[in-house]
Amino acid sequence: FLLPAPLCLLTMLLPPLSPGDPISPAEPISQAYSLALYMQKNTSTLLQTYLQYQGSPFSDPGFSAPELQLSSLPPAAVSFKTWHALDDAERLGRAQGAFQALSQHLQLVGDDQSDLNPASPILLAQLGAARLRAQGLLGNMVAIMTALGLPIPPEEDTLGLVAFGASAFERKCRGYVVTREYGHWTDRAVRDLALLKAKYPG
Amino acid sequence: MALFAFFQTILLLVSLSLRTCQSEVLSEPLPLTPESLDVSINSAQRCLHLQWRVHSLAYHQELKMVFQIEISRINTSNVIWVDYYSTTVKWNQVLHWSWESELPLECATHFVRIRSRVDDARVPEPRFWSNWSSWKEVNEQNSLGHKASSVFPVDKLVEEGSNVTICYISRSHQNNVSCYLDGVRMHVEQLDPNVSAFHVNNVAFVRETGTNIFCEMDPKDDAGTVLFVSKVLEEPKDFSCETQDFKTLHCTWDPGSDTSLVRKQPYQSYTLFESFSGEKRLCEHKNWCDWQIAQDSQEMYNFTLVAENYLRKRSVNILFNLTHRVRPMTPKVFFKNISATNATMTWRVHSTGNHRTLLCQIELHGEGKVIQHNASIKVNGEYLLSELEPDTQYMARVHCGDANHFWKWSEWSGENFTTLEAAPSEAPDVWRDVKSELGNRTVTLFWKPLSKSHANGKIRFYNVIVENLDKPSELEPVPIPAPANHTKLALDQCSYRIHVTANNSVGTSPASVIVISGDPGNQVEEERVNVTADGFSLSWKPQSGDVTGYVVEWCDRPQDGSCDLQWENLGPNTTSTVISSDAFRPGVRYNFRIYGISTKRIAYLLEQKTGYSQELAPLVNPQVVMSNLTSHSFTLSWKDYPTETQRSFIRGYHVYLKPKEGQCHPGFEKAALSDNSVCCKYKIDKPEQKTFVVENLQPESIYEFFVTPFTSVGEGPLDAFTKVTTPDEHSHLLIRIILPTVFCVVLIMIVCYLNSQWMKEKCYPDIPDPYKSSVLSLIKSKENPHLTIMSVKDCIPDAIEVINKPEGSKIQFSGTRNSLTETEITKPAYLYLLPAEKNYSGPGPCICFENFTYNQAASNSGSCGHVPVPPTAPSQRGLLTSLENLLKALEKNYMNSQGEIPAGETTLNYVSQLASPMSGDKDSLPTDPPVPALCSEYKMQMAIPLGLASPPLSENSSVSSVTLLDQGDHHH
Repeated sequence: FLLPAPLCLLTMLLPPLSPGDPISPAEPISQAYSLALYMQKNTSTLLQTYLQYQGSPFSDPGFSAPELQLSSLPPAAVSFKTWHALDDAERLGRAQGAFQALSQHLQLVGDDQSDLNPASPILLAQLGAARLRAQGLLGNMVAIMTALGLPIPPEEDTLGLVAFGASAFERKCRGYVVTREYGHWTDRAVRDLALLKAKYPG
Repeated sequence: MALFAFFQTILLLVSLSLRTCQSEVLSEPLPLTPESLDVSINSAQRCLHLQWRVHSLAYHQELKMVFQIEISRINTSNVIWVDYYSTTVKWNQVLHWSWESELPLECATHFVRIRSRVDDARVPEPRFWSNWSSWKEVNEQNSLGHKASSVFPVDKLVEEGSNVTICYISRSHQNNVSCYLDGVRMHVEQLDPNVSAFHVNNVAFVRETGTNIFCEMDPKDDAGTVLFVSKVLEEPKDFSCETQDFKTLHCTWDPGSDTSLVRKQPYQSYTLFESFSGEKRLCEHKNWCDWQIAQDSQEMYNFTLVAENYLRKRSVNILFNLTHRVRPMTPKVFFKNISATNATMTWRVHSTGNHRTLLCQIELHGEGKVIQHNASIKVNGEYLLSELEPDTQYMARVHCGDANHFWKWSEWSGENFTTLEAAPSEAPDVWRDVKSELGNRTVTLFWKPLSKSHANGKIRFYNVIVENLDKPSELEPVPIPAPANHTKLALDQCSYRIHVTANNSVGTSPASVIVISGDPGNQVEEERVNVTADGFSLSWKPQSGDVTGYVVEWCDRPQDGSCDLQWENLGPNTTSTVISSDAFRPGVRYNFRIYGISTKRIAYLLEQKTGYSQELAPLVNPQVVMSNLTSHSFTLSWKDYPTETQRSFIRGYHVYLKPKEGQCHPGFEKAALSDNSVCCKYKIDKPEQKTFVVENLQPESIYEFFVTPFTSVGEGPLDAFTKVTTPDEHSHLLIRIILPTVFCVVLIMIVCYLNSQWMKEKCYPDIPDPYKSSVLSLIKSKENPHLTIMSVKDCIPDAIEVINKPEGSKIQFSGTRNSLTETEITKPAYLYLLPAEKNYSGPGPCICFENFTYNQAASNSGSCGHVPVPPTAPSQRGLLTSLENLLKALEKNYMNSQGEIPAGETTLNYVSQLASPMSGDKDSLPTDPPVPALCSEYKMQMAIPLGLASPPLSENSSVSSVTLLDQGDHHH
């Protein structure tokens, strides 16, 4: 089932659990899974809205530039064999790292777009909502890792110094990669969490 | 050492002085080579800045020189630009020169070299070029950075309509380069394996967020940039400044296009600069700016308005005298002394300074008109608005301008006001309708509401004063509250003068006088009125004498009985008018009465006219009554319509008759009806003729007729024809015969009925009493005086075998099977009940028998079926009927017993019952032959006796009986 949006936002506001609490991982996994499913519904809308505001070639029908990548953002694509062989710590660690980077990048893209397209509140609102959801899922991941007794990696500044001085076109491209990878990582998180859900039934 | 240094200095000075001398003489050319060439790059401006010196010049020496500059791109041999720069060169001067590249400088390496030549008149020819400086390589450092490819210029701001060159550079060699400007593919020129470029001429503004440029190639390596195209900054239009208070100058302009681009270029700025005072002010608004007037009473102002954005500056200039740019402030308006026809308007204009003379325009709006007045004032103005209409709302407004140096009018300032009421200026238009009834008259007075220009205010009531001209009495005004437009007065046969006035809050109108004469008036012939496109055209004969005018009256709505009386007053010299009204409807008859008004205000009916605004075909046909029907003719008659229901003037009637044969009767003509049927039509030209005799008809024929009126616009609707059948020519004769006959029969029947009891007693009593029978007396008296009535007690029964005797000697034939069965059982009773007396004689002998005529069914038939004593001749119908009934009963018994008794046996029984000697059982045959003769006496009684010519008793008596049966069969 799907959690309604306010409840999803509520979950991310939950205080982080302390490592020593003996708690079943099933509940945070279930919460995270519900949120990921909810996010999955909106990722394609976000990407389409984003592209629509950037002008040609981004707004052209069927636009796709898979070769565009950001070094600061880990790609979600992974071979199935590798993905399946991941243990819980790796699986959750990679997802946690990705959503940490995504939440920072979505902040950057939001800033870029408020500069390039200040008169498009729909796009800015969707980018803001996506960032909040990424942060919410990140919190859920931390809760799962805590419940499984896994070490929590420290927060990293994934953007570093490269964020400024980009041209308008580069910023448009950057936003495209971030919104695209946000969708890919959400898809992967749904698969990750489904696997964990099966592994740790309630 | 010091000496060496000294000599060296001396040598230098000498050398320099020599050179100086030489230069002054300029006797020979000098090798003045540009040195220290330095090239800097400004990528944003796409500019190369060159600076160099000419070291060879002497101190304070000035020399005109020309420099040739060559610029190569990508490699030195590819010279793309050669330019010459002439200038006067001073000693130790650093020379500058700039070059703007079309191609972004990031796109390619550029090389620059320079050489010079003296171009001074003091230096004699020939003059030689110096040597070239060495090539200076200019390269935008690391334009690609860490990227594999890039498009330049990056985020460039350009003006709409300008030309732009875009380049695409990559680390790898380029193949199949495609570049797109906002999705449109551009023509790309490859400059070298790693650089491509294309030109965009007259670049267009697409959107505020910039235009994307995007390039791709093989191998896949995409790059792009955003070109920000700004609209062209326009020169401000309609720039002007004015003051209202001599403290502030308010300057306005039309800014034209918005050149702002999102985050790239803000809205263009506007700056006011005043040259006399040298002051400057940055304006905060797009299209206006206030300038504070200094206290030193500066008169002349020279303003420059500068519009500026990142790409361009535009300016406009105005020079003016402050006193010529005065627009007065909006006046404040008041009204005073408002009366019915006048009002005074006052206004005040503040702070125009120095009590300047103002020209003011006053506009008065009212009654749909605008009246303009002018006034010249200082500060306060006053104007008398006169000739106003009473009780009318007006709007007055004023604006002012400087009278000496008119610049602009001030804003309008206005107020509404309403003039006071005045007494009504005209008498109401009054007319009357008089209805006489039983010596009393009901006079309805009508008046029209006064027009606004005559009412001069709200009419509150009407005063009606009735003055009896025959019996002077006190006059009592009767007020009738407005908005009533009529009143009813009950008057006697005296003459009355009626005064009507209209009253508002201020006063009374002049009186309208009308006289109701005691004379009932004359009757006039009604005439038809002419109708024109404008309406009803009425004309009348001019009246000589004391006519003061005419009145035409009519009802606007005669069709629904409400009348809605209308009238029109006309002058004494008028003898015609055209009456039109929106209320007039087609097919409605309007009556117009024309009155002459005498000097005594008495109205006399002169003429009466009637007509239709448009005649319409009749909607109904008259109800026709047919009468006087004979075999050769009948009469049709119908009644007139009510005039009100006529939709046009009836000119006559058409009588349609469907003929028996194809021929029409004389006087009729063939006509086709609207349903395409053909019939005969007779036209009655006189509308007053409402009977018609249809003649020359054939007896016993069906005729169909139909009557419809015809008018100038057609006839009535096609209704159903009425059928009439002419009677037979001899039918009246038949009636003369049949009627009396029927009457007689009925009479007889009544008599018969009344005497039925007597008849019954006489003719067919239920139980005939032989002693009472008249037959007896007849027999006695005429034929056989010895004959007596047989008495039962006289009979000596021979043998009686009674099996079942329910009612005396009578045996009922109930008609049921059981009774017949009994009958069958009792058969011997009939057979042996034959007289067995051998020696009987005289009156004694008799035959005891069971008479079948006493059959219940026969007696129940209730008719004269008493066979044994037929009272009348057998030919009479009554007897026939009874016989028939009897036979029916017999047959019925016969039929009923058929199933059980053989027919022959039954017949035999019956015959034997009739005492036939030739039938029956031989054993029971009488031994004495005369017995049958004796018995035949009774037989006579039974059959047809009456002492008439009866056949002698013989053996054929049975035949007689059979004959009777045959007769019954025959009747049956």
